[in-house]
Amino acid sequence: MSAILEVRDLHTQFDTLDGVVRAVDGVSFDVARGETLGIVGESGCGKSVTALSILRLIPPETGRIAQGSIRFEGTELTALGEEEMKGLRGHRISMIFQEPMTSLNPVLTVGTQIAENVVRHMGVPWSAARERAREMLDLVRIADARRRLDEYPHQLSGGMRQRVMIAMALSCDPQVLIADEPTTALDVTIQAQILDLMIELKEKTGTAIVLITHDLGVVAETTERVVVMYAGRKVEEAPVEALFDNPLHPYTRGLMRAIPRLDVEADAAGTRPRLQEIPGLVPILTRPIVGCAFAARCELATDRCRATPPPFVDAGGGHTVACWEVTL
Amino acid sequence: MAVITDDLAPSPGRRFSLATAIRRNPTIAFGGVLLALLIVMAVFAPLFATHDPFKLSPVNRLRPPSERWWFGSDQFGRDVFSRTIYGARVSLIVGLSVAIISSVLGLALGLACGYFKRIDSIVMRIMDGLMAIPSILLAIALITLARPGLGIVIVAIIVPEVPRVVRVVRAVVLSIRGQPYIESAIAGGTKNLKLLLRHVLPNTLAPLIVQSTYVCASGMLIEASLSFLGAGVPLEVPSWGNIISQGKTFFQIAPWTILIPGAFLAVTVLAVNLLGDGLRDRLDPRLARRL
Amino acid sequence: MTAYIVRRLFATLPVMAVVALFVFFLLRLAPGDPAAIIAGEDATSEAIAAVRAKLGLDRPLVEQFVVWLWALLQGDMGVSIFSNLPVTRLMAQRVEPTIALTLSTLFVAVSLAIPIGVVAAWKARKLVDRLVMGFAVLGFAMPVFVLAYVLIYFFAVQWQLLPVQGYQPLSAGLWPFAESLILPSVALGVTYMALIARITRASMLEVLQQDYIRTANAKGLATDRVLLLHALKNASVPIVTVIGIGIALLISGVVITETVFNIPGLGRLTVDAVLKRDYPIVQGLILVFAAAKVIVNLIIDISYAFLDPRIRY
Repeated sequence: MSAILEVRDLHTQFDTLDGVVRAVDGVSFDVARGETLGIVGESGCGKSVTALSILRLIPPETGRIAQGSIRFEGTELTALGEEEMKGLRGHRISMIFQEPMTSLNPVLTVGTQIAENVVRHMGVPWSAARERAREMLDLVRIADARRRLDEYPHQLSGGMRQRVMIAMALSCDPQVLIADEPTTALDVTIQAQILDLMIELKEKTGTAIVLITHDLGVVAETTERVVVMYAGRKVEEAPVEALFDNPLHPYTRGLMRAIPRLDVEADAAGTRPRLQEIPGLVPILTRPIVGCAFAARCELATDRCRATPPPFVDAGGGHTVACWEVTL
Repeated sequence: MAVITDDLAPSPGRRFSLATAIRRNPTIAFGGVLLALLIVMAVFAPLFATHDPFKLSPVNRLRPPSERWWFGSDQFGRDVFSRTIYGARVSLIVGLSVAIISSVLGLALGLACGYFKRIDSIVMRIMDGLMAIPSILLAIALITLARPGLGIVIVAIIVPEVPRVVRVVRAVVLSIRGQPYIESAIAGGTKNLKLLLRHVLPNTLAPLIVQSTYVCASGMLIEASLSFLGAGVPLEVPSWGNIISQGKTFFQIAPWTILIPGAFLAVTVLAVNLLGDGLRDRLDPRLARRL
Repeated sequence: MTAYIVRRLFATLPVMAVVALFVFFLLRLAPGDPAAIIAGEDATSEAIAAVRAKLGLDRPLVEQFVVWLWALLQGDMGVSIFSNLPVTRLMAQRVEPTIALTLSTLFVAVSLAIPIGVVAAWKARKLVDRLVMGFAVLGFAMPVFVLAYVLIYFFAVQWQLLPVQGYQPLSAGLWPFAESLILPSVALGVTYMALIARITRASMLEVLQQDYIRTANAKGLATDRVLLLHALKNASVPIVTVIGIGIALLISGVVITETVFNIPGLGRLTVDAVLKRDYPIVQGLILVFAAAKVIVNLIIDISYAFLDPRIRY
């Protein structure tokens, strides 16, 4: 598998009243053609900022990509001009967002919002783009697509709106689809439908998906490979089975313990073992972190952890982890 | 409408620092200082004036600005500088009295409308009707009915301004009425009047103060416009509008008779507006974000 | 939709009724003898009696009102006290310049202010934005007549580019007509422009932070499409509202602008009538201006339904 997207040593920073926030602090990963990569971590760990960085959508008034490289099909995106970047967005790399309720424009019809993407990137006339929009609505299984084209977002349910977002994002056959918490705002049953739809479409179109989520359950069901992020840094990366079978980083283990499990037998009293939460707080990102970012919350932490950032150790089979105390 | 909470509450721990206040809110400081200077100028007008503002001097007609007539003289040989200084008195008196009286009347009517449904429907109908008449037109119509004088000018400006205040106050009252703490107070059996005084009045103050600065600016503009049209304060009173109106005929040869009092009027209105903008940013952040 | 428009139309009736009542009773309930007020300070008792008879002020109030209202509903606003001509005819003679001035000002102000506001919001906190905000604050403090004289002084007196005063009807040719309207429209329009530019900027700033703008940018749409379609359409309701509120400002300004530039329109008619205490004309003009404002607001109310599909009608 060849990598279509290579992110190397990405640093993205924001200026705030309290100082510079290092939202993403040296993250590297690859996305292979047609694969599904999960990026997982708690809110505020820099996963969304990573996604926005790839599309260069960090608001320039407050934030910037300070360092690092993002290569898409060999092209260095951080060096690309804004106009060329616009040609890529929505065309070669597209994105869907967490809030289907607010991510669609309330005063434009669904058809216009899908078709304008097609007109912009495929250079086809509006009539053809509208036809494409109808096809896409069929593809994401919205019934009565022709009528829906002329409807406004407020006339659709949350799940339907996310389907529209997916239809819009896939309308120009992108190589990479970045999905930032695409199901978080939806009901559980709808969540499963949307995830199934995304996987099915991926199989059909060969689009690689970067799925950003805080939900390990979603990761387990949908992704092939997983990057675990903590406090703006990558701490572990592994094929999905390897990660669940053998989580190596203390933080990943902590996350696993926090998942409610149905496969653990309830005891005689009918209670399951209590979920364990990870003690402590996420570090403040305005202060430079010396050593391992997780050290303050880690039960295994030593003086070395607090002084020097751990290098990545290869556990074999594409499983790498950044931890001093890990025993392979 | 925003509900003002801790921002206005006195905080014993925080000491007031002038430097910080100016840095945080340069518009209030700038507008306030400018307005203060104008008020000093108006109050002590006799001290600043270089000539008798009323004295006719046909020999010295239409003199351009010079050392002797700083702002020149008008077609009757009166000193434009001294007249302009005295003119500040009229503008400020009109602006302040219109602001204060409109606020008081508007507050009373607005509270009544927000509280008593029966009053509300009648009063708001009348207010809507008054608001449909452009303010200068309404003021002019009122003035035609009485002998010219400062008093009738002020009354004529207040009538179109009151509905604006009423609407602001009423909107605040209605939004506060829906708040859970007011509903619980009602459920607890608080009397209407007590409720008004204890819970509602403090919350209406900030928007009311902000609105009253705009009413003040608008009042000064209307007064000047009325005088300019010849329907304002009596001709012999040196108000800025009158000075400009009398300068009309000789404008092409003596533009200072119009441009200088005009500049003073614009600066005064600007000072009041800046003060209002600054207060709005400080007191009513939600409204501030919208404008 | 038709039902909505009809309902809005009916909602304007109470407002116009209040205006009519106000206009009628203003004179009748004023302190002192209305006939004496109209006749003026040095009027003889015969003159006062003549005015009283002419306006029917000697009849019972209710009868006066019924007669007046009945005539009004038939389009009869009475006759001028001085010229004895019907008020409606006097207004019809003067209406063209006022409509020309108002429409040209409206057009100039809206077509300049909205782009200015959009650019200011787009370049928020940059130099362009600060200049626009500075203009808006100054423009809002600038009295119409002062600005008018400043414009006349430079453009007409000093540089002699445009006529000092006067109005040329469209029948006199397009250029003379346009030339006579440029300075009045600018003088009248600056405050209005400041108001619209300011609300456009504020409304756009709020909209530009919304998620759907991020979506539009993630689609790689051209900046002008994001700003002018995705953002401006969402920002339009407050802008249109302020355009409507500003109409009152414009009408008040017309009275002054027409006086400064010596334009024989309804505004001049108002001032002349007021100075002569020709009350029937003043009454008629108030009704007409108020109706104009109510109609503009009605159009704006209806336009909401087109601008925002979420508004139900």
